[in-house]
Formats: sequence, C-alpha cells, structure tokens
Amino acid sequence: MVLLENVSKTFRVGRNEVRAIHNINLHVRQGEFLVVRGPSGSGKSTLLLTIGGMMRPTTGRVTVNNQEISAMNELERAQFRAKNIGFVFQMFHLIPYLNVLENVLLASGFERNAESSERARELLKNLGLSHREFHKPAELSAGEKQRTAIARALMNRPSILLADEPTGNLDPENAEEVIRHLHEFQREGGTVIVVTHGHSADQYANQIVFLRGGEIVENPSST
Amino acid sequence: MSTLLLILKEITHREYNFVLSLLAVVTAVAVYVAFFTSAQDSQRETTRLMRDIGYNLRIIPKETDMIKFWETGFSDYTMPEDYVLRFAEKTQDEIQYRHLLATLQQKVTWQGMEVLLTGIAAKEVVPKGVVESSMIPFAVEPGKVYLGYELVQKTGVKNGDMVDLFGKPFQVASCLPETGSDDDIRIYGHLKDIQSILNLDGRINEIQALECLCKEPGDPLDRLRSQLEQVLPEGKVIQLKAISDARREQRFMLERFFARLLPLVLVGCAIWIGALAFLNVRERRFEIGVLRALGYGSFRIAALFLGKAIIIGLIGAAIGFFLGTAFAMSFGPQVFKVTAKSIRPIYSLLTWSLLVAPTFTALSSFIPAVVAVTEDPAVTLREE
Ligand SMILES: Nc1ncnc2c1ncn2[C@@H]1O[C@H](COP(=O)(O)OP(=O)(O)OP(=O)(O)O)[C@@H](O)[C@H]1O
Ligand SMILES: [Mg+2]
Repeated sequence: MVLLENVSKTFRVGRNEVRAIHNINLHVRQGEFLVVRGPSGSGKSTLLLTIGGMMRPTTGRVTVNNQEISAMNELERAQFRAKNIGFVFQMFHLIPYLNVLENVLLASGFERNAESSERARELLKNLGLSHREFHKPAELSAGEKQRTAIARALMNRPSILLADEPTGNLDPENAEEVIRHLHEFQREGGTVIVVTHGHSADQYANQIVFLRGGEIVENPSST
Repeated sequence: MSTLLLILKEITHREYNFVLSLLAVVTAVAVYVAFFTSAQDSQRETTRLMRDIGYNLRIIPKETDMIKFWETGFSDYTMPEDYVLRFAEKTQDEIQYRHLLATLQQKVTWQGMEVLLTGIAAKEVVPKGVVESSMIPFAVEPGKVYLGYELVQKTGVKNGDMVDLFGKPFQVASCLPETGSDDDIRIYGHLKDIQSILNLDGRINEIQALECLCKEPGDPLDRLRSQLEQVLPEGKVIQLKAISDARREQRFMLERFFARLLPLVLVGCAIWIGALAFLNVRERRFEIGVLRALGYGSFRIAALFLGKAIIIGLIGAAIGFFLGTAFAMSFGPQVFKVTAKSIRPIYSLLTWSLLVAPTFTALSSFIPAVVAVTEDPAVTLREE
C-alpha cells in the first residue's frame, strides 16, 4: 500500500523555489493499478520518485507498506527500495556495459548465485527475451530494452512497481505489451503506479489521478 | 567481488577513459621512478667520485706571477725536480694521492708556430700501497714525442716519422686525437729531453698531485695547503678543476630541474585524472540514478568510482615502474652522467608506487565520486 499525507516537494534553484508537488493526499491499496496523468512539469516524476523514496518530501508523510519512508535516512530508504520497489523509466536506463542478463541481475546486487540466475532467466523467458540474454542494450530494440527494464524491476519480487512513462518511447504495439506486463504484475498481487499519456492502461486502472501545477485536480476536463 | 566485476566491465566498455587515466598515472609514476632510479644512483656516484678523485692539485713555484700563470697556463719560474721526491716522502702519512707528476712546460716557437713544449716524468710517482692506474694516457720514452692534433694537421707528420726539435731528432710516437683544448698545440716529450732542450736540466715548473685526499676530516683543500706549506715551502698550491666537478655540477643542475618538474607533473596528472573521473561521472549520471533506484547505497556507488580509480592506480603504478626503470636504465647514464652499471632497478619504488599511486588516483577521483553520490536522483534520472 501507498499512503501520501499532505506531501509537498519544493526544489530550490538558486534563489527561486520551484513547487514540484503540493499538498498531495493519495491512497493506493495493495494490488491496485493507479494511472497518473498530467501535462509536462506538473510533478508526475517528482511524485513517483517521492513514493519510491528516491527523494524526501519537503513536508508531509509518505508511508509504503506500513513503513514511513519519509522518516527514513538515505541508507534505510535504499534498503527499503531494494526489497519493496521496482522502477521502470521512459528512457529504459539500462547499463550499457552489461548484457541483458547482467542488467537484470544488477537488481539483486549483482550476486550470481544459482537462485538469482534462475529467477532472472525465468523473468526474461516470461518477457520473451530468452534469446537476448547475452546481448548488450545497444543491440536491442526499444521494446526489448523496456522489457529488460521490467525484468530488472521485477527481479527482487517487489510489491510496488513505479513506471514513469514506460511507453513514451515505444510504438503502440510494444507499448501495449509493456502495459500488459504491468497488468500481469498487478494480477499476481502487485501494486502498479504508472505515469502515462496514453490510454491503453486505463482499462486496468482502479484509480486515475490528474496532476496540474503539482496538485491533484479532481475534474481534469475543467481548466 | 560483484563490485569489482562491475568496475571491470565498465572499464572495458569505456576503454578510452580508462586508457587516458592510466596514461596519466603511468606518466607520473614513470617520471618519479626514472628520476629516483637515476638520481639516487647519481648521488651515490657523485659521492663515489668525490671520495675516489678527491682534489687535483697543482703545485707551482711560490714566486709565480699568478696573472701571467693563468694567462699562459704555466709558471715562468722553475723548481728543482727532486721536490717531487720530497713531496712523496714527506707527505705520505698526512696526504693520500694516487699520482704525482713532475712536468716542465714552456711556450716555444717551432716550425713557425707557437707550441707548448711539455716534458713529463717518464713514470708517475705512485705512493706505496696504492693500486697503480695510469692517469696520463701514455708513458713518454726518451727520444720520442707525442704531437698535438693541430700540430699534426699543420705539419702533416705521421706516426714513426722523425721530427726536428731545436736541433735534435725525435721520433713521433703518436699523433694525438683532437681534444678541443690547448693540448692540441702541445708537444709531449720525456722530461729529461725537454729539460735539455730548454737548458733547464733538473728543473720543473709544476707538480701535479692527482686525486689527493686528507686522512683527517675537515675541509680537504685547507688541510692540504697547510700540510704542503710545511713540506714544500717553495711551492704554491692551486686546485685543478677536475672534470668530475663539472659533471657533478651538471648533475646537480639536472636534479634541481627535476625537483621543480616533479611537483608540476604530479599536479598536472592529478588534474588530468580528476577531470577524466569527472567526465566519467557525468557520463554515468543515469547509471548512478538507476543504481539508487535499485537500492544501492551511496557507499557502494562511491566504491564503484573509487574502486575504478584504485585499479587505475595499481595498474598504472606497475606499468609506470617498469617504464620508468627501463627509461632510467637506458637514458640515465647519458642524462645524469653516471655509469650504466650503477643504475639498478629500485624494487622498493615498486612497493611505494603500488601504495602511493592508488591513493593518489583515489584522492583525485574523490570529489567526482562525492558529486556522483550526492547528486539528486531527480536530476540524474531526468528524462531528456
Ligand atoms: N531536481 C529538480 N530541481 C529543480 N526543479 C525541479 C527538479 N525536478 C523537477 N523540477 C521541477 O519540478 C516541476 C515538476 O517536475 P517533474 O519532472 O516532476 O514534472 P513531470 O510532470 O514529470 O514533467 P514531464 O511530463 O515533462 O516529465 C517542474 O517545474 C520541474 O522543472
Ligand atoms: Mg516526468
């Protein structure tokens, strides 16, 4: 579960303050599928990074799986992330000098024991990447890259998957497939929070929130 | 282990960054090793030269006009030849020397040329208990002469020819090679022959005491002078600047030059490595963000960068040591004017390199590494 209470994040750029998200209240139950929408600069990425414990909110409280991550220190949050959260990004962010299998194993601390290798291979098989195990990211298509990134995010059996425009660089077919994999994860009991501009995820969504100027707006159609 | 594997994979992926960083370390280590290998030997050699050669002294008649002496290169006055023996007998206990040479020289006109006529004692007076080694390049036999290079050029004589010296026939024992000094206009003959030519039987105008040493500590030249004052009151001592002095001076200059160069090399390489590490961090920003997202802590991320720096330091130290040593072995003798034999690899420098270079590279990469771990993931993961 994810619970945000009056969460705000303000960036300081020189003398200016940029209010990225403001006073967000949000509750996502375990196993739910949340779609986040909003114009560029509305704070979607900031929201996701805050939920994932990648940054601390300026004010407010973030609770994930009953643990208040906004109160944790850096190391605790890192450990928490490793166990509970998987990230998927628009730009895939695969490590260029590691092959597909190694990129996935990276999530488990790069330990190459039989168990993690088996887990990684199984994930790659489910994502249709078995034949790509030893390829470097540069040799993959965009869809294959994103599926590798999904395998990496799922490697540690997280309970929450945070995806920031995972289909932004994909053609409709590959986008469809990525969303299907997210849905698959949800069906197995995982929580999915996905930022997306497309509408293919709407059919699975339990909740859709719309951000504007860092705030959740109830009725997006009204300006 | 896994961190090491990650580092190695990154290194082979971005080989240019690695090779350029390595180059900086190799340069710094090689310059230091080359310098210390040559310079330590050079210092050892210098002290050896000082010890072995000591002072070269010229003893000339006391009444010599020094202005004229320095102008002509010899004294107008003469002293009895047996002063050499007196010197040899009386000084042995206080002063050590390797060679004692009695000479008589004067400028004369020969075949229309101004030449230096030099008679040298057939044998060096070598004190007892000293291993004999020849300082003069040849022993002059009576009836024979050695001709300087310019004189040979002018007269066209060859080895074995007979030449006339003031009415007496002499055989040319050897035509000397060019020396670039007044030796090129010199005629060397046996002391007795020259004495009779110049009508100065039994007289000499200079004693050369080569490689003099005092047995007692202290300023050797002062002590030698006061000793000689007692033994040979008729003589005056001047120091002959030895070739070794010039060489030593040259070495000192080189060492001073390197002493200034070394810190510059160090600073240059530090900046170089730091800049490359910084570029590496910039290039890997998203990677840092991803590692964070995957739950890697700051320590482990910093270890990736510092570990890489340490690996570069270790490999660079090893290569630099062997390169620097090879350089010192092949060029050290020329640059530092030491004998090739005296330059040996200093293996303790390898240990030092392996300790210092990784520390140095880690420090140079420290700021970029700190930048890497403290950077806001919101920046590093910004999707452009
Ligand atoms: N690290 C940062 N420093 C300063 N300002 C930031 C930082 N990160 C985000 N911002 C600002 O916060 C606001 C929200 O940014 P955010 O990236 O969350 O928006 P977004 O909805 O994800 O936009 P996009 O659709 O373009 O990805 C923007 O005005 C942005 O400029
Ligand atoms: Mg964004």
